[in-house]
Amino acid sequence: MSRITRFVGAENLSLIIALVLLVALLVSQSPFFFASRNILNIGQNMAVVGLIAVGMTLVIVSAGLDISVGSIAGCASVAVAIMVTDYHSIAGGIVVGILLGAVLGLVNAAIINVLRVNPVVATLATLSAFRGLAFLIAPDGKPIGVLDETFGLLGSGRWFVYDNFAGVPIAFIILIVVAVIGHFVLSSTVFGRSIYTMGGNPAAARLAGINLNRMRYYIYAISGALAGLAGIIVTARTSSGQPASGTQGLELEAITSVFLGGAILAGGKGTIFGTMLAVTLLATLSNGMNLLGIPTFYQLVAKGILLVVAVAIGQWRMARAERLQAAAAAKGKDAA
Amino acid sequence: MQTPILDVRGVGKAFPGVRALAKLDMAVARGEVVAFVGENGAGKSTLLKILSGDYFLDEGEVILDGANVAHVSPLAARQAGFRLVRQEPEIVPDITVAENIFIGEYLTRVRRIDFPAMRKEARAMLERYGFAGLIDVNADGRSLSPAQKHIVEIMRALKPGVKVIAFDEPTSSLTAQETERLFDLIRRLRADGIGIIYVSHRLHEVMEISDRIVVLRDGRLVSTLITAKTSDIEIIRLMVGRDLEAGYRRQETTRENVVLEVEGLNSRWHKDISLSVRGGEILGLAGLVGAGRTELAKVIFGELPHLSGNVRLNGKDLHIKSPTDAIKAGIGFAPEDRKGEGLILVRSVLENASLAVFSRLAKWGVLRKPQMLNEVAPYIRRLEIKTPSLDQDVGKLSGGNQQKVVLARWLAAKPQVLILDEPTRAVDVGAKAEIYRLIDQLASQGMAIVVISSEMPELLALADRIMVMHAGRLSPPIEKADATEENILNYALGTAL
Repeated sequence: MSRITRFVGAENLSLIIALVLLVALLVSQSPFFFASRNILNIGQNMAVVGLIAVGMTLVIVSAGLDISVGSIAGCASVAVAIMVTDYHSIAGGIVVGILLGAVLGLVNAAIINVLRVNPVVATLATLSAFRGLAFLIAPDGKPIGVLDETFGLLGSGRWFVYDNFAGVPIAFIILIVVAVIGHFVLSSTVFGRSIYTMGGNPAAARLAGINLNRMRYYIYAISGALAGLAGIIVTARTSSGQPASGTQGLELEAITSVFLGGAILAGGKGTIFGTMLAVTLLATLSNGMNLLGIPTFYQLVAKGILLVVAVAIGQWRMARAERLQAAAAAKGKDAA
Repeated sequence: MQTPILDVRGVGKAFPGVRALAKLDMAVARGEVVAFVGENGAGKSTLLKILSGDYFLDEGEVILDGANVAHVSPLAARQAGFRLVRQEPEIVPDITVAENIFIGEYLTRVRRIDFPAMRKEARAMLERYGFAGLIDVNADGRSLSPAQKHIVEIMRALKPGVKVIAFDEPTSSLTAQETERLFDLIRRLRADGIGIIYVSHRLHEVMEISDRIVVLRDGRLVSTLITAKTSDIEIIRLMVGRDLEAGYRRQETTRENVVLEVEGLNSRWHKDISLSVRGGEILGLAGLVGAGRTELAKVIFGELPHLSGNVRLNGKDLHIKSPTDAIKAGIGFAPEDRKGEGLILVRSVLENASLAVFSRLAKWGVLRKPQMLNEVAPYIRRLEIKTPSLDQDVGKLSGGNQQKVVLARWLAAKPQVLILDEPTRAVDVGAKAEIYRLIDQLASQGMAIVVISSEMPELLALADRIMVMHAGRLSPPIEKADATEENILNYALGTAL
């Protein structure tokens, strides 16, 4: 047991237990849940939130927040739709969508760095501004139908299809690749460890030679680019470039996942692995609620409650850590 | 002896896995100064926190002026007359000094906060207790130096109704002059019949101010000594349970070429600073808190801007604009405020120690754990940092060990110049000697070292030359042979400039 705890981390272990309990509950309540088609649906639904949550993990670990990601995804969705329908370029559309996301992320970082605006306020402002931008670039502000079948594969295509196996969604594979890279970057590169440092103590990070402004440009650009990628997948799945529908509220789900995955608002804590577990948990939960016929309105309430619970758990962990710290300081065991 | 004002009987307190205090008995009489000494973790802080109501005791009684005050809230302990002057005071940054002093008990008039009355009273208190002229009562909490914050904390404790007052490391951020004022204050409180508890690592202060000394070790009372009838050697022996050389003496070293040279440096805080440090040399930087020593370190390190002047390393002009530039050039800086500026408390020991060498440990931007273990971990072992594992969060270590983690970081970085700001602040006696030995070793390996310190014995023991800062100017260097506490103080007070 203790070896497992060390391998996945104590916080992640409770997520895994929660996931197992949830799955057990759903299996007992719905005969459809364990069907391979349904499981793979969950994987497909995870992809959009998951991609955004990977970028959001970097942002939150650096003690920032990016609530404009849903709007960035909206902009990218419209942009990729225009590229695919008007210019017949799928590759160009993907590049433009991701680059646009990265540029909008840079705008966020510039507002935070140059104008010294708090990240929450800065991205709250761009949450509105970027959503407006999405409507502005869409002709007449209306959704754009995208009928290209090849492009559609990004959203609903599947690989490894066999007779009785529905195949793995391509979107899910993209998420796995991005998550693995994200995990590697955050845990094993100088860039990633510097994110932990700046999130844990910005003053100390600066004195240790880390350029905080430059770091922020990179981090928000990555978050924006991944939001752009998520927007592209939304477009492919719904066969339409949507300025708003399909990308609204993604920030809430992504932020909830990151906190549920073990990050704290103060920064310096959190892992991609934890975030991915939380994304899986949330996707399973919402799939289960759909199967059980729970109305959407209740689901919205449930999501709100989950965010509070996720942050409250983080606070409780910090408080406990501080208590232990106080105890450690008072006892003789570690005295020099 | 008359009935003591504070009587602690058989107090015990355990934390998960460890006994912090074991059946402790002690008493403080009216008008008596009792000092607590002991190494970090001996139980001093635990006892203070039980008295102040922060912790509940597991067993025993605490009698304050005849009333049992065990198991009371911090507010009730305060109202009963126990006041704690904390080592790291909580000062609200956005309200004034006057409001900070009266926080929680604002003066009111017809149910409105009476700001003029608070300012007046705050000014009167500062005047009455000998700290007039050191703080402006209208200043924001944010603008205060650590010493000024401490004075605010002392004022908070001196509200009416005080029967016993405890000072936890009160002088760690005070200069010699401010310490004298604090001692005058303590003597007055003693004369007023107030019971005083004085907790400090600085034995000469304990010897100077206390009547009795309580020595704690591993949560037990080892001995109670009459100050007039003991010596610091005896106290140290009781504290650590073994004999220890009382003073540290640095070995003679050969001084090499000039490594760091500062010429005609001007900044918002400094006028015409020039200094030079040779390889293998330790330059001591003395001065009062607020004289601009920390700022000088930060200007050299690129954290604060300068207006004019040159910084040269090995004869070459440096153009440092940020700490990143400084580290690249080969300058290291260990800040005074290790929790605020030095360490990432929520990250591990190994990670904190590796911070300054991340890029050297990496290949193509990827950190290599084996390299981390090879290049950084040996310093953690050499410094004998007491930690259950390299993955332990730094926040869970004791103060002395945290300081050693900061030192390990710069040992691993191997800079040519190392600036240490108050390297032994709030570090206990045993760890101090250890840290001195390390600094000494670094110098003998050819590093140029600048030590900023408010502790004179520390500077006298460590430094080859001492320069004294006063109001943003530096004194000429004093060679080790000529340095005495008196002539340093003369420069620090500006009387010799």
